[in-house]
Amino acid sequence: MIPIHTRVFRWNPATEDEGRMVAYEVSVHEGARVLDVLQSIHDDIDPSLSFRSSCKAGQCGSCAVLVDGEPKLACMTEASDGMEIKPLNLPVIQDLTVDLIPGINQIPRISADTGTGLPAHEEIQAIKPLRDCIECFSCISVCPACDVTAFTGPAAMRGFMRIALDPRDSTNRIGKAIEDGLFTCTSCGKCFEVCPKNIRIPGKAIEKLREIANKAGLTLPRHQEVEKLVQTTGRSVPREKLTFLEQVGEVIEPEGEVRGEVGFFVGCMFNGRLPDTALDMLYVMRKNGIRVIIPPEQVCCGSPLIRTGQTSYINTLRETNKNCFSKRGITTVMTMCAGCGATLKNDYPDKPFVVKDVTEVLTGYGIIPTQKLPVIATYHDPCHLLRGQGISEEPRSLLIPAVQEFIEMPSICCGSGGGVRSGVPEEAAALGENRREAIRKTGADIVVTVCPFCEYHIQEHTDRPVKNLLTVLREGYEAMESSGRESTDDK
Amino acid sequence: MLGEQIHECHVAVIGSGGAGIRAAIEASSHGETLLISKTIAGKGGCTIMAEGGYNAVMCEADCTDDHYQDTMRGGAYLNDPELVRVLVSEAPLRMNDLISWGAVFDVTPECTIAQRPFGGQKFPRTCYAGDRTGHEMMMTLMDRYHACGAETLHEVDVIDLIPSKEGITGLVGLDRKGDLVIVHADAVILATGGGTRIYDISTNSMSGTGDGYAIGYRAGATLIDMEQIQFHPTGAVYPRDARGRLITEAVRGEGGVLKNTKGERFMSRYDPERMELSTRDVVARAVATEIQEGRGTEHGGVYLDVTHLKPEEIERRLPIMLEQYLQFGVDIRKEPMEVAPTAHHIMGGLKITPDGATTIRRLYACGEVTGGVHGANRLGGNALADTQVFGKRAGEAAALCSRISCPDIDPMIHDIRELLGTYREGTINPAAVITELRLAMWEGAGIFRDEGSLTRCRETIERLMKMTPKAVSNQNLAECCTVRNMCTTAHLIVTSALLRKESRGSHLRTDCTEIYNPEKSLFGHTGISPAGARIERRNS
Ligand SMILES: Cc1cc2nc3c(=O)[nH]c(=O)nc-3n(C[C@H](O)[C@H](O)[C@H](O)COP(=O)(O)OP(=O)(O)OC[C@H]3O[C@@H](n4cnc5c(N)ncnc54)[C@H](O)[C@@H]3O)c2cc1C
Ligand code: SF4
Ligand code: SF4
Ligand code: FES
Repeated sequence: MIPIHTRVFRWNPATEDEGRMVAYEVSVHEGARVLDVLQSIHDDIDPSLSFRSSCKAGQCGSCAVLVDGEPKLACMTEASDGMEIKPLNLPVIQDLTVDLIPGINQIPRISADTGTGLPAHEEIQAIKPLRDCIECFSCISVCPACDVTAFTGPAAMRGFMRIALDPRDSTNRIGKAIEDGLFTCTSCGKCFEVCPKNIRIPGKAIEKLREIANKAGLTLPRHQEVEKLVQTTGRSVPREKLTFLEQVGEVIEPEGEVRGEVGFFVGCMFNGRLPDTALDMLYVMRKNGIRVIIPPEQVCCGSPLIRTGQTSYINTLRETNKNCFSKRGITTVMTMCAGCGATLKNDYPDKPFVVKDVTEVLTGYGIIPTQKLPVIATYHDPCHLLRGQGISEEPRSLLIPAVQEFIEMPSICCGSGGGVRSGVPEEAAALGENRREAIRKTGADIVVTVCPFCEYHIQEHTDRPVKNLLTVLREGYEAMESSGRESTDDK
Repeated sequence: MLGEQIHECHVAVIGSGGAGIRAAIEASSHGETLLISKTIAGKGGCTIMAEGGYNAVMCEADCTDDHYQDTMRGGAYLNDPELVRVLVSEAPLRMNDLISWGAVFDVTPECTIAQRPFGGQKFPRTCYAGDRTGHEMMMTLMDRYHACGAETLHEVDVIDLIPSKEGITGLVGLDRKGDLVIVHADAVILATGGGTRIYDISTNSMSGTGDGYAIGYRAGATLIDMEQIQFHPTGAVYPRDARGRLITEAVRGEGGVLKNTKGERFMSRYDPERMELSTRDVVARAVATEIQEGRGTEHGGVYLDVTHLKPEEIERRLPIMLEQYLQFGVDIRKEPMEVAPTAHHIMGGLKITPDGATTIRRLYACGEVTGGVHGANRLGGNALADTQVFGKRAGEAAALCSRISCPDIDPMIHDIRELLGTYREGTINPAAVITELRLAMWEGAGIFRDEGSLTRCRETIERLMKMTPKAVSNQNLAECCTVRNMCTTAHLIVTSALLRKESRGSHLRTDCTEIYNPEKSLFGHTGISPAGARIERRNS
């Protein structure tokens, strides 16, 4: 037997105004699950502890709770000493028991037409991955859109797509899916990350439903404008000033010895709206011996279209981008925008090069240390970097040595993705305001991120400066140089 | 004093597994139907956990006569032949209902229902949705259920039925808060599923506590063949808290082999013809014998091995097994599983007619809570079919009951309040009673039993029945009622097991050495009701 110390949320709304965390110690067998710990508290310490379970095999979806803040099935998650157990972020009935019924009632239900017979093998194969849902509502608990809007949630969207794929149900429900919040999803990917059944809801359900909406002419007008812009200019951002590509040559040679070489995919935001940040990146690359090749004919990666279901023009973009790098023999393409990076990595099959985020490139080669900037910094994880590309360590390992103090903040979507900022601005604003509060709580002087969408959006919702990591590094190098000059001046 | 809420309906269905939901769908097309479930409807019970599949004759190459023969032979000819006929002839129709309601079963490239081989069957007739067949069924049934107009009481534990001159006319339950829920109905359908949670090692869901057997018994119904407990040969043995968790028969159906620590495929000694795909009673005894005779692993199991199959095959056909084992740190593509027998299914239960009518008027039953369909040993895949075939029949028949007025229930409610009152004053932790009961059942009424072990077990149960479990709050009253039901069900099993002085199917009496050909056995069903217990004698 092994001892487990845990803190568990207790609240009986009938008799108490608010909940509290209570510490328990139990001994359980090696390999015990979270559920076994709860059962042991119930059996041996306090039988009034309320929690749900039924199958104990990850099949009924009764037992999801937050273990150290993340939704987990209690019956499948190994218990760990010191863990904290809280209810899902849904209305609490008592202790860890939450109200699942409203969510269940919002799942769309198939109503098959009579006499349709069996679907074909391929149709079944297509539906299956969406069919594993056990209605545990871990996804609803973490969905930022559910938090601030009347979105019925990822599990319900999965249900709509499952029905859309089934030839036995011919009712058209796309209008209902939109009404239920199809366009409120920021494509943050959190639902997929927590889903115990690994259902790729953003890619396999939401984007696909948005495609269906697109074919039915129901794409949001603001999103249609973006598509028009991409079709006519190759860019999703209108030209307002001198763009990055107009300012730079095709090959940027580093200072001194060449330690590496990458192709650079700039993306619409850095090209059109934040070219100075991209120039900061070139500064850092030059300092660190990395040659950067910038094909001028590159275009939008297609992300703003894919996320909003407008896929008819995607192939043209993909081919142009693939060709411009491959014909120059470039084997590593670097992105700096999290959205572009995730798209090139995940939505460009059969590409003849590898794609790396700028933070991967820099940590891969290693960089000359900068001078520490005299600020307290926090870091906002861009969804498309953290979950879209699985990158969280690299930016931190570059940022932490570059500032005087670093404070973590919970990584939650800022609301700028998935076309929400343009399509459902009030939702994007509400999520931005949540970030304001989170930033305030850290007490940091600056917010650092590496995604232009996040940077642009969060800046509207905080009084602290929001900076790109590359800008911070450039400032660190410049501070080093000027203090170096000062010390030489002193001599 | 506890509050109470009162409901009225035409048909009340207890239980939201495959049988209960199917019954409610059917009943609701005839009159107001109310479904009462201990768990959130659709989430509880064992149907949602069923992995392997659903037996039905779905193609020309197979025939219902063969399905009938396989079922009878598997059940050691203790099955009720009429119920088996109904099962095999209607299983395909009910499968087609599911398909027409949107079920996503695996299909072949030729667009027919895919079927896999399962133990004890001459033809591969087990339809499946990967290894999440029961989940697929429940999802489909819930889709249909949501449109059928039945009302639902989620998370209400039924504690007793309301008897009257006219038969059963309602039920009494407890909600989450511990308030009484009273339902008046013209007919009641018991679909509470099984009860092997009364054993130390079990595959069942948390609600597999045998409530329905006890509730039906107290209401005066007759239960048959309660001694027939199926021990599934392949339950997990490690980690300890997950022991008993089912390793689906589909693993063997897909080619998995059983080996002891000497590396022998030992089934060749027990059933050389059918090997791993012999019936469950035979395989479970073989595994238990290997372990008993010292050829088991350190964790007390034998090996179940699929490493000779292609990894992609395993990923496609056994995804849940693969995922569950990975969570426990074992990659079944590369290393064998360790397995041992686990209490799985209760073949006995309420005696029913083919329409699901019990021996009491207006009380119907369907699914695992009934007896007779599976005889002395259930074939894998027949239980899911059972839930659909008899769920539909019970729903239809119950809905045809005439309307009646509510009886006076004050005396009964008074008694229930008194019982609940004693629980608030109880003296023992319910968990302690359950632990002792489970160990006693595993020891005394397990795979191998004899008069001595059964008698000792019965004494323990009777001692436990005299104790009063303690409800620390009103929310805990339902748990105490469950403890009472678990003890009653255990008692029914042990009493019936003492009556059957022969080894038959899953019931192996080591003290009865006379070997009958099951087809020619002198004995028929055991039967037990509050009026007494007896075993039928056949005239051979
Ligand atoms: C792990 C596992 C795998 C299996 N695999 C297969 C398989 O592959 N093929 C096959 O044919 N069979 C299989 N079986 C057997 C089969 O699943 C069951 O026999 C069958 O599903 C029982 O269905 P049911 O509707 O009768 O009961 P269940 O599905 O068990 O439902 C019982 C319902 O009754 C409710 N209930 C219980 N007590 C009360 C009460 N007091 N008050 C209110 N509600 C109550 C429960 O909450 C639940 O909703 C398997 C069983 C298990 C445990
Ligand atoms: S991707 Fe994010 S916003 Fe979209 S449904 Fe999933 S959790 Fe919600
Ligand atoms: S989609 Fe995944 S996380 Fe959401 S309810 Fe279904 S199983 Fe749970
Ligand atoms: S208890 Fe069923 S999923 Fe955990």
